[in-house]
Amino acid sequence: MWLNNPMSATAYLTGLGRYLPGEPVSNDDVARRLGGVDRRTDGLRARVQRANGIRQRYYALDDEGRTTELNEELAVHAIEDALTDRGITASDLGMLACATTQGDLLVPGFASMVHGRLGGGPMQVLTASGVCASSIAALDAAVSKVRLGEHPRAAVVGSELSSRWLHQRRFEGVEDHLDAHFLRWMLSDGAGAAIVEFQPRPDRPSLRVDWIRQVSLAHEHEVCMRAGLDGPTAVAGRTWQDYDDVATAEKAGLLQIRQETAVLDELAAAGLAQFEELVDRGLVDLKKLDHVLCHYSTNAFRDLVFDALSARIPGMDTSRWFSNLETCGNTGAASIFIALEEAWRTGRFAPGETILLAVPESGRFSFGFAHLTVVEPRRSTT
Amino acid sequence: MTTTETVEGYRPPQPDRAGLLARLADVWTEFEARLEEVPILRALAAGDVTVADYQRLLHNLRQQVVDGSLWIARAASNFDMDHFDLRSAAISHALEEHRDHLLLERDYVAVGGSLEALRAGRKNVGSQALSGYMFHEASRPNPVGCLGAMFIIEGLGAQKAGVWARRFQEVLGLADNQVHFMAYHQDADAEHTGTLDAILTSDRIDDAAADAIVTCARVVARLYVMQLTELDEI
Repeated sequence: MWLNNPMSATAYLTGLGRYLPGEPVSNDDVARRLGGVDRRTDGLRARVQRANGIRQRYYALDDEGRTTELNEELAVHAIEDALTDRGITASDLGMLACATTQGDLLVPGFASMVHGRLGGGPMQVLTASGVCASSIAALDAAVSKVRLGEHPRAAVVGSELSSRWLHQRRFEGVEDHLDAHFLRWMLSDGAGAAIVEFQPRPDRPSLRVDWIRQVSLAHEHEVCMRAGLDGPTAVAGRTWQDYDDVATAEKAGLLQIRQETAVLDELAAAGLAQFEELVDRGLVDLKKLDHVLCHYSTNAFRDLVFDALSARIPGMDTSRWFSNLETCGNTGAASIFIALEEAWRTGRFAPGETILLAVPESGRFSFGFAHLTVVEPRRSTT
Repeated sequence: MTTTETVEGYRPPQPDRAGLLARLADVWTEFEARLEEVPILRALAAGDVTVADYQRLLHNLRQQVVDGSLWIARAASNFDMDHFDLRSAAISHALEEHRDHLLLERDYVAVGGSLEALRAGRKNVGSQALSGYMFHEASRPNPVGCLGAMFIIEGLGAQKAGVWARRFQEVLGLADNQVHFMAYHQDADAEHTGTLDAILTSDRIDDAAADAIVTCARVVARLYVMQLTELDEI
């Protein structure tokens, strides 16, 4: 974590992009894509959908359940959108930092595949794996290298293609786990990207990155959102790679993404405590915080977090709060960039204003935060 | 017969018999005053520069910097056995300067410039004049005057480059990694200046050598200012 000194080297977000595959899918059509139309599943789906508040989402999956695009393709589309927004090309990039929960392949790393598809010149690549907060980890890496003066420009992308994991074929003949339904009817596909540069863009405002903070509390929490694990604790011989064959692991439910929903309140409380610490350390000035973009999985957390922030931030109202969960779905590591892109594109930010990005990750309790300030182009008077 | 002193009219300059270091100090003062009038340095001092200005400055300097170790090496090869110590000094100095442009090239790329474009660049008219003059001086037998050029160029590195580097960093928010060339010269050239001072105050510098050194320093000071002023004028 670092606090920006205006005299020191700084990084700016100068272009933003996103890509959501296919047409939006309404709640009623979700089951048509993912399958699972028996009465019990329908009931679970309706309940989860009511709670999470998502109205529509996107899947790189057709009605037959076939994957229509690779995760790396979603990532490349979002990066290209961000490059276009900035008016540069992939050959201008010195680094590519990619965040995803699960790439298309087991090996090699996701960023290598994205770079191969994106093109451009030689560049540094980084794959930040994890869940939602890997987006902030990738952003942090790119921003740090740009601030060090090692690359004039970098691209960061968060990209997810979880629908493959959510389709009925991952559920049929598999040991039934209620905790796999929470994410099944919540997660969807998409990608969001940002261009990071050592100078603000010359023609339009940019977002100066003031600081980034990522913290894990895994030392005091068991896993919460997970796949590939049998039970709450990792034990040698009991992960998905240790079974006699992968099919057996799948039958046992190890290829489902499961969520320990009982500890989600604890996650929200831990996230708010992290926020309080930012205030306490002077990283967030409540009087000057103009926008909050918080990634959350369901509207239940929105209300909880919003109420807590309203109690702390003078004049906090919904105009300073932005999320597009309801219209773009929960796209994990892509979500925060997809939200930032929309807020940016639709003119919510004015020069001088500050923005807090907050990304809690339930995986094993980690939190990513970034503080941005909208800055005008640097103009020469000559 | 009347003496010329009693007649009004042109009086040619007389030899200056002040100490060499004092004469060079005057040259330096005048050089600094000229630098203050250079447009890009005025803009830098005023905080009114962009990354493009920094790139432009590096691009223009690079085309002449690559010649630095060449003319020093040529000067070294023209010192005879009676000037063995000066030859030694020049050979070591040429070696130190030999990889100098690589620092500059790294900085240029680190601020988003294209290495290909930088290497394909040509000297501006000031760089042409400066480089041409230095090769000419270095080609003479026992080119003691070249010490004057070193006095200016090393002084620039030791006293000015670091200030420029810090100012570019302040104004543009540049990382240390983007100002290696200018920042390095502050330390390296301070060391070189120390070595140079020892030579300049040694017994081997007679009046003729001192005159050659001062003249060379004055010419180089002017041509350097021209190089900085005539940016992109190729």
